[in-house]
Amino acid sequence: MTMKPESEKYNKVLNILRNSNPILKSTKDIEKEVIKRISMSKQPGCNLTDVIDFLFGWVYIGWVRRSLVTASVFLVLVFVWQQGVMLKQINFLSRQIIVTGGETVNSPARQVEKLLMRYKSSGRSFPSQSITISEKQMKELLDSVNDLKIKYKDLMNLIEEDPELKKYIENKLIENNRSKIKL
Amino acid sequence: MILMMVVSCNEPETVVTNFVHPDGSVTRKIEIKSIESDINKRFKTSDLQVPFDSTWRLKDSCEINKKGDTTWVRRAEKEFNNIDEINLAYKSDSGSNKAYSRHAGFKKRFKWFNSEYRFSERIEKILAFGYPVKDFLNNEELLYFYSPESLKQEKENGPDSLKYKALSDSVKNKTDKWTIKNFISEWTGEFSKLTQGKAGQDISRESLKAREAELEQIIAENDKKFDSLWANGVILKKFIGETNALRYKSEADSAMKLAESIIFNDFKDYSLRIVMPGKLIGTNGFSDSSQILLWPVNSDYFLTEPYEMWAESKIPNRWAWIVSGLFLVFVVTGVIIRVIKKG
Repeated sequence: MTMKPESEKYNKVLNILRNSNPILKSTKDIEKEVIKRISMSKQPGCNLTDVIDFLFGWVYIGWVRRSLVTASVFLVLVFVWQQGVMLKQINFLSRQIIVTGGETVNSPARQVEKLLMRYKSSGRSFPSQSITISEKQMKELLDSVNDLKIKYKDLMNLIEEDPELKKYIENKLIENNRSKIKL
Repeated sequence: MILMMVVSCNEPETVVTNFVHPDGSVTRKIEIKSIESDINKRFKTSDLQVPFDSTWRLKDSCEINKKGDTTWVRRAEKEFNNIDEINLAYKSDSGSNKAYSRHAGFKKRFKWFNSEYRFSERIEKILAFGYPVKDFLNNEELLYFYSPESLKQEKENGPDSLKYKALSDSVKNKTDKWTIKNFISEWTGEFSKLTQGKAGQDISRESLKAREAELEQIIAENDKKFDSLWANGVILKKFIGETNALRYKSEADSAMKLAESIIFNDFKDYSLRIVMPGKLIGTNGFSDSSQILLWPVNSDYFLTEPYEMWAESKIPNRWAWIVSGLFLVFVVTGVIIRVIKKG
C-alpha cells in the first residue's frame, strides 16, 4: 500500500520534468561548447583510427582483400620454392668431384696417338713440326707401341683372373704411393 | 719419346680463366707455360690455343724446378665489357685453334628474390656424320671420359688403381671403336656427297650407311695392312664393287683424306676455368683445388656433338626480400585488424 503512492509520486515528478522544457538563454554558446568538447575529446583517438582506416581500409573491400592475401601467399610459395630448389642444387654440387692434381689436362698419350694417326694418314709428314726420323724407325716405334699395348692387356687380364695377385699388386701400389708421399 | 718431346715442345700448356661479373663483363686471364728455350718461338700467337693479342696486360716469369728444368710462364689479362667482345676475339683468332667455331654466352635472369646468371663457352661439333659418344659409353665411363687428365691420373694411382685402370682400358677400347665408327660414317657421308648425281643408288648415302657394319668388318680384318690395301683399291673393291671402285677411286681417296683430317685433327688442348658471381647452383664442370670450375678442352669432346662448358649462379636481391617482408607484414596486420573488429 505504501509503495503505490511513492511510485505515483515518482511518475508525477518525471512527467513534470518531461513536460517542462529548459529555458535556454544562449543556444549558440551551448552548441559551440558541445562541438568544442566533442572535438577535444576525440582528437587523440581520431588520428590513430584515421591512419588505421586509411592504411587498412582495403580489408573491408572484398576483392582487394582477396587479391592482397593471394599475392602474399604467392610470394611465400615462390620464396619457399626458390630456396628449396637452390638448396637442392647446392647439395648436388657439394657431391661434385674435386680435382686436386692441378689444371693439367693435356694427355700426352692421346696427343701422341693423334700425331701417329696423322702421320699414318697424311703422306708420312708432320705438319708444322720438324723431326728427323726415318719411316723404318717410325714403323718400329708403331710396332713396339702395339706390342706394348698387347702385353699390357695380357698383364691386366692375368691380374684380374688371380685375386691373390690382384691384392698383392694393389698393396704394392699403395706402398709405392706412400713412399712417394714420404719423399 | 721423340714424339712426346715434339708434342710438349710445340704446345704450350694453357689455362684460361673467365671471371664473370654480374653486369656481364668478363675478366679473362690466360696462363701459358712453355719449356721452349728459344724466345722467338716461346709464346708465338700462332701456337696459342686461345685468342690473344697485344692489347692484353702481360706478365712474364720463369720457374725452375728441382731438376733444374726451366718453365717460362706468361700471364695475360684483359677486361671484356661483354661476351660480344669475347666472341669477336674468337672470330678474329689467329692462333692454333682458329679453325674451330667457339663462342661464349651470358644470360641474366631476374627472379624477384634472386638474380640468376649463366655463362657458357661452346665449341661446335666438327663431324657432319658422326655418332654421339654417349651411344658407346655408360654413365661411369662418360664421367671418366670427360674428366681432366690430372683426375684420371690421380684415380689410376690411388687406392682403387686396378678398378680405374680397368675403367680406363674400357673407355679406351670403346672410344677406339667409336672413332672407327665415326671415321667410317664420315667417309661414307663425304664419299656419297662427292659422288652425288654421278653414281647409282648402290652407293647412295642411305645405301652406304646401311652397310657401315660391313665396312667396319673389312677394316677389322685388314687392320695391319689397311694402308696398302686401301692404296691398291682392294678394300674399296670389296666394299663397293670393282666397277664403282675403279670409277670413283679419286672421290673415295678425297673423302678418306677429309675424314682423316677431321678426326685426327690438329686441335691443341687447353683447360678452361670459370669463376661465377654469387653462389654457384649448377655446372657440368669439375671443381679444382681452389674451388674454381674446370673443364678440359679436348677435340674428342666436340667431335660429334657440340661441347658446352656452362655454369649457373645466383645472387640474392636483398631489397626484394625487404619489400616482400614489409608487404607480408602489411597484409597480415590488415587481416588481423579485420578479425578483431569483426569479433
